[in-house]
Amino acid sequence: MDLQVGKNSKNTKMSERKPKNIFSKGPIPASFIAESIQKHSSQKAIGGHSIFLGQVRADQTENGIVKAIDYTAYEDMALEKMHLIREDIFAKYPLTCMHVHHSLGEVAAGEICLFVFTSSAHRKAAMDACEETVERLKAELPVWGREIMEDDSHQWKVNQ
Amino acid sequence: MQVQVMIFGQLTDITGKSELMLYDIPDTDTLIRTLLSIYPALSDTKFAIALNKKVIRENTLLEGDNNIALLPPFSGG
Repeated sequence: MDLQVGKNSKNTKMSERKPKNIFSKGPIPASFIAESIQKHSSQKAIGGHSIFLGQVRADQTENGIVKAIDYTAYEDMALEKMHLIREDIFAKYPLTCMHVHHSLGEVAAGEICLFVFTSSAHRKAAMDACEETVERLKAELPVWGREIMEDDSHQWKVNQ
Repeated sequence: MQVQVMIFGQLTDITGKSELMLYDIPDTDTLIRTLLSIYPALSDTKFAIALNKKVIRENTLLEGDNNIALLPPFSGG
């Protein structure tokens, strides 16, 4: 698996204040999401997980049909911002853990580009925290999606 | 003051590059004026300026090592 996550989570104790990486190249495989769920089976204080998966939509636009989105980010700033969002969310909800993964580079229509995973003792905190995290990261992280059309022209994604 | 400017997202369609070096830029108002004179099309686009990874909203003096970035509206997720 090419994703950087496992490596990072091992380092969490040593560098709690250092922003965690959330970016990995290309789509997020379903197998990675399954493994991520499986890893939580040892944490028996958890009673509920909430997961949001963002999937690239084959939007029909006046410029054609979207076949992929090419993501770029101001990574340093995005990671610092995500760190602040994470601190806010942990201060607001009794969460056991939170994991966020966002794709960079090209992700084809139908593939997963965003994975937000929150866990808590009782469902409400995990569900509310997951929703708030998704809303905040879409509004606050300096990430841009370049929509690639079927004829290889492009337009820039606009978040609603 | 010499400044290096990082350019992101749809703004790179206008500038044709993702990095730019500018000279004699004492503050961010001058930066904006200079950018608009080089790339008039930027005036039709919404963007924010981040100085050392923080979005600034008022004219700010540029001193020493500055990390400047032009950020169009975000569209992650």
